[in-house]
Amino acid sequence: MQAIVQWIYHSPLSLSLQGQTWLVALGQTIHILAIAAVLSSVLMVNLRVLRFAGNAQTVGETTGRYLPWIWWGLLVLALSGALLIIIEPERPLTSPLFWIKMVLMLAGIAVTLAFRNHASAHPELWERPEHRRSMVLGFAAVNVVIWCGIIFAGRWIAYASAA
Amino acid sequence: MLEEFVSWIGSSDLAITIQQSDWLFPTFEVFHVLAISIVVGVIAIMDLRLLGIASRNSRVTQIAHDTLPLVWVAFVIAVVSGVLMFISNAPVYFINTAFRFKMLLIVLAGINMLYFEFVTARSVKAWDEGVATVPPAGKMAAALSLLFWVGVVGFGRWVGFTLDFFSGSGLDQYLTAAP
Repeated sequence: MQAIVQWIYHSPLSLSLQGQTWLVALGQTIHILAIAAVLSSVLMVNLRVLRFAGNAQTVGETTGRYLPWIWWGLLVLALSGALLIIIEPERPLTSPLFWIKMVLMLAGIAVTLAFRNHASAHPELWERPEHRRSMVLGFAAVNVVIWCGIIFAGRWIAYASAA
Repeated sequence: MLEEFVSWIGSSDLAITIQQSDWLFPTFEVFHVLAISIVVGVIAIMDLRLLGIASRNSRVTQIAHDTLPLVWVAFVIAVVSGVLMFISNAPVYFINTAFRFKMLLIVLAGINMLYFEFVTARSVKAWDEGVATVPPAGKMAAALSLLFWVGVVGFGRWVGFTLDFFSGSGLDQYLTAAP
């Protein structure tokens, strides 16, 4: 990993961006705004399948409304995250928390894809969750753990490596 | 008077406890980021509906009903976690320009919301359905709301770059040291 860190750190792109504090702040701001889009979209889907909010729309309409914001949000997260890594590769890439965050993100994508496919194949199971309470509760709980875990790990990268 | 109060909370037992803990401040920050993400993201759902960009088939009052309770719960968590972070070093935050801009934008967002709620939205029944009927004042409120909240996130992040309590090395600590 040190070799990769060194390679990124000494690349012309990284060298030209290092020291641009405003660019780091801008990249982090975009990163947080994209997190806001993804997290809020996951939350609205969660609340809909639990029937706590958005019940005027079907589960299919709800996923149609929010899933594109999750995918585009994740793309913006990947791009702004990549920019931050290029500027400062060592802190994230050598932190176990960063890799935990990446695993959680892959899990979040997998869960969202599985939900999308299952909900479009069996909309009635998600529309009437009283028949499948454990499935719906499990989906919501896994989502909360994954996305809160991503935020927790992401914010702690800055502190854990400084300690 | 205000300066004395800020100085007093900055040297309180609670402030010292937060400063001396390795994990309290980062934990408050995790809650703050989580809560502000929900506040900004969920408010944006309403703003994008008013602007006719998303949720175009939903009624405005339905979106308000589905989103407002979430916004308030998240906002309270953001305020509580934010106040705890402020207490940890109150005099330094108090005079920080980025922090003051952030507070100003939150106040402006609040005024914008109150004006929308009590003036513009009084006629909401006339433009509840369909995106073309939303009046210019409603679209203006939505655009200002997005602008103010994006600014809150931006200045909030910038606060972290203009303050440094832990190493005393100022801005340099954020610039990459040779690995």
